[in-house]
Amino acid sequence: MADSSGHRLFKFPKPQWMTSANTRNAGVYAAGALFSIALFVFIDAATFSKSNLNGSEFHVNFVDWIPGIFSVLGMLIINSIDKSRLSADNFSYSGDGVAWKARVVLFMGFAAMAGGLAGSVTVCLLKYVVREASWPALWFGVANIASNALIMLSSVVLWVSQNMEDDYTYNLAL
Amino acid sequence: MAGLKTIIVLSFILAIGFLLVILSAALYKNFLTLLVVATYVIAPIPNWLCGRASSQDDFMDSGSSSIVELGRFMTGFLAVMGVALPVVLAHCDLIRPEAMVMSIVGGLLIYGTIISFTMFFHQEEEF
Repeated sequence: MADSSGHRLFKFPKPQWMTSANTRNAGVYAAGALFSIALFVFIDAATFSKSNLNGSEFHVNFVDWIPGIFSVLGMLIINSIDKSRLSADNFSYSGDGVAWKARVVLFMGFAAMAGGLAGSVTVCLLKYVVREASWPALWFGVANIASNALIMLSSVVLWVSQNMEDDYTYNLAL
Repeated sequence: MAGLKTIIVLSFILAIGFLLVILSAALYKNFLTLLVVATYVIAPIPNWLCGRASSQDDFMDSGSSSIVELGRFMTGFLAVMGVALPVVLAHCDLIRPEAMVMSIVGGLLIYGTIISFTMFFHQEEEF
């Protein structure tokens, strides 16, 4: 958003609340909350399938869990990378080959997460919509999509809030 | 400033919270809602543990380290879990809706008083 000489890309100045430490903490809490909502939406679908309210012939089994597993793996990979490694040239702190490796790992994380979301849409379509499930059996497929989308949103919120620069921190870069 | 009255009021609210959760389990003879108490008691622990793990002898705050943020992430996760778990249980007819409402309100009261207590004790230390 800003090059090294301090000129911003946008016309509007950066809002004051975006750089405070409180916003950063609130972002991390919000990411945890979103991840929890995602997990419990899916657990709700799985529990409903097992409960005696489910009168239909559709059930949640291991196939429904696979897209969620990929999404969570992708989120773990993406948010475990040290962001300062991504931007590097030959003579900077991060060194020569590290930026390329960091970018490859980040790409695989994104791919896993997008694959999870696409997989959940696939599972919903092939397993529920094609076989003409009606509500509430259709909830099993919709919950899968919603859960993966919320995991992706949680990862985005966590990434953005970890990238916020605090005015009072000193980045010790060589 | 944590005067005596504040501590008494907070303890009273904590007791009401516990009462609500225990009633939500005992009235309907279904003890699944006690999981909410466990969740809300465990919820501040990751935050506290990871706050201790960050280096204490930094004179100036050098920004949050990843372990502190992991603790905050897990605390947010557990706090929302305390609300989401009764909703899931009620939706799947494992507990009654009234039990869900009582356990959510009681759990939030318990969590609120735990947070208030830690905030008050933090401020006391500054003097």
